[in-house]
Amino acid sequence: MIEIILNGKRITIDKEMNVKEVIKELEYTQEGFALALNGTFVAIATYETTMIHDNDSIEILAPVQGG
Amino acid sequence: MTKHMDTNSNSWEIGGKTLHSRLLIGSALYPSPANMEDAIKTSGSQIVTVALRRQSAGDKAGGDFWNIIKSLGIEILPNTAGCHSAKEAITTAQMAREVFGTNWIKLEVIGDQYNLQPDPFETVKASEVLIKEGFEVFPYTTDDLVVAKRLADVGCKIIMPWGSMIGSGKGLMNPDNLLAIRKQFPELKLIVDAGIGKPSHATQAMELGYDGVLLNSAIALAHDPVKMADAFRVAVEAGRLGYEAGTMQQREFASPSTPTIGTPFWHQFKD
Repeated sequence: MIEIILNGKRITIDKEMNVKEVIKELEYTQEGFALALNGTFVAIATYETTMIHDNDSIEILAPVQGG
Repeated sequence: MTKHMDTNSNSWEIGGKTLHSRLLIGSALYPSPANMEDAIKTSGSQIVTVALRRQSAGDKAGGDFWNIIKSLGIEILPNTAGCHSAKEAITTAQMAREVFGTNWIKLEVIGDQYNLQPDPFETVKASEVLIKEGFEVFPYTTDDLVVAKRLADVGCKIIMPWGSMIGSGKGLMNPDNLLAIRKQFPELKLIVDAGIGKPSHATQAMELGYDGVLLNSAIALAHDPVKMADAFRVAVEAGRLGYEAGTMQQREFASPSTPTIGTPFWHQFKD
């Protein structure tokens, strides 16, 4: 088990895995979001080659109203 | 026969797009999504601002909102609202580009949480990086001429000075400062962003020669947002027409508009 921070909340996942696997593990089934790892943008094209490690921080953002 | 000017024929260019409306509108704070949609349509605006926020697994609200916005068929201007550093803003812009499929970014880097005043240093730093990465940056800034100069120096083609504090509705605090920026940078696209509270504020900004105005609260928080959207549509057009027509020179003294020759009951010599 490893601990990660998802959108500011600490959670645990089974093991170190890549971003694509994490998204599936966390049950993000909807489309239209973007992800940042430790404050750095991760493009969809690199989800499978980007690994998530213990204590990593993930932000998952989606469209909302804005001014 | 009276000839009416067709204001819709007055197109302009910004960020590589040719548009007719000079009103940029926000998508937040409306009483309902349906009201937002009606107000945006009524405003005639062709640019709408949107944002990114944290999403929980299974939450489809963001998708629903995005579908409404997409159905409008107008240009999307994502913002970096809530960012307090160049690094946060750059990451948010990169995420927005992927989600919204546009290289346009309304760059907001806040320097003070109380009045939401932009941080000029971080804004310039982020602008430089984002322009190198191919973004069309719409930087939200103050009405400080030197900051505008720095933004232009790093390659900004568009600058968006505030009228006054975000959401304050106070109008143009320093029209002289805004005019100084306009005169200094005739080649840049200038948009007054933030602080506009009523249609006359928008007209005033346009009369200064600004290329457009960006607002949200003034429409969304009106008692009737749809009617207010229509009011702003007309106000922006009126201001632009007034600017193009050229306003008269102010005078220090009164000057009658009715001819004085032939004034009745006037005698050259007193009895």
